[in-house]
Amino acid sequence: MDDSQRSERSSDLGDESHLSPEESLALIEAQREKAARSLYVAPALILAVWGVAWLVGFGALYLTSHRGLGGALPAPLVTSVFLLLFAVAAVVSFGEQVRRGRGVSGPSRRSAALYGWSWLLAFVGLIALDLALENEGLPPRLATLLWPGSSLLVVGLLYLAGGMLWEDRRQYWLGVWVLITGAASVAAGVPGNFAVLSLAGGGGFLIGAAVALAGDRRPQPARP
Amino acid sequence: MIGKRALPDLDAVIHAQGRLRVTVALSVLPPGDSVTFPRLQDLVGMTAGNLSTHLRKLEDAGYITISKAYRRRTPVTFVTLTGAGRLAFEEYTAALRVLLAPRDHGSDQEDL
Repeated sequence: MDDSQRSERSSDLGDESHLSPEESLALIEAQREKAARSLYVAPALILAVWGVAWLVGFGALYLTSHRGLGGALPAPLVTSVFLLLFAVAAVVSFGEQVRRGRGVSGPSRRSAALYGWSWLLAFVGLIALDLALENEGLPPRLATLLWPGSSLLVVGLLYLAGGMLWEDRRQYWLGVWVLITGAASVAAGVPGNFAVLSLAGGGGFLIGAAVALAGDRRPQPARP
Repeated sequence: MIGKRALPDLDAVIHAQGRLRVTVALSVLPPGDSVTFPRLQDLVGMTAGNLSTHLRKLEDAGYITISKAYRRRTPVTFVTLTGAGRLAFEEYTAALRVLLAPRDHGSDQEDL
């Protein structure tokens, strides 16, 4: 403690000697970029992973459900691929959140944790509801419409909530798009619903990923 | 030349490479959030000794708070940017922009 003043002075000389306002501003930009890259979830990656899962997963389901193409793909294989793709996407999303939040605590992490629990709880509720309807004798044809349709309602609402929570308009609009896709898929009937989910749903995510990627690359406008 | 005369206007606590790095990294976190010492070290790319020195000075200025907690019996050090620290950093960047702005403000007035 006694030599703290001496070391203070020497280190001040050490790192203040050549810092002009220009260099200072450049250092701020570089450090901000570095910290943001490490702390913020990369939306393009997450959206792309979900986009591929929807496009390929629901696309494969469409091909098996379609009468004309049904023989081409065995149903157990398609179901396995579908579940695997969605599991990978969920792990990537969750992993990103955990990795970025490592060592950070406080109000924003508490919100993020509650938001994460909201996904889990919402899907537990949804599965309970849909299973109960099946037990009550819901015809398989309607169950095929109900499961993805109700899932999209939940997903869309949670994206709306995420958009509100992080003041993220793009996420909010993605939520709106997912709600529309969900309703349209039920309206399309079986197996058209899978085509809607694959193309409109997966396509929506992939467009979102492209928009996020373009936003990252675009140079920040210089402030006066 | 302009820089030398204007430097005294810049907050001396923040206007030093190491402390500026730390302040910027903390300002990227949402207000009120804390970060552990090792994660902060990661964000700014500094040795532990170097970072400790800078943190002490920022704490003395009231720009950050340092708190210790136990997580699974291991002591963890948390660093938080205070409201005063966030404000000081905003004023510091504002001062930089003033210093770097062209001397006569004719162009600004034309814009209005």
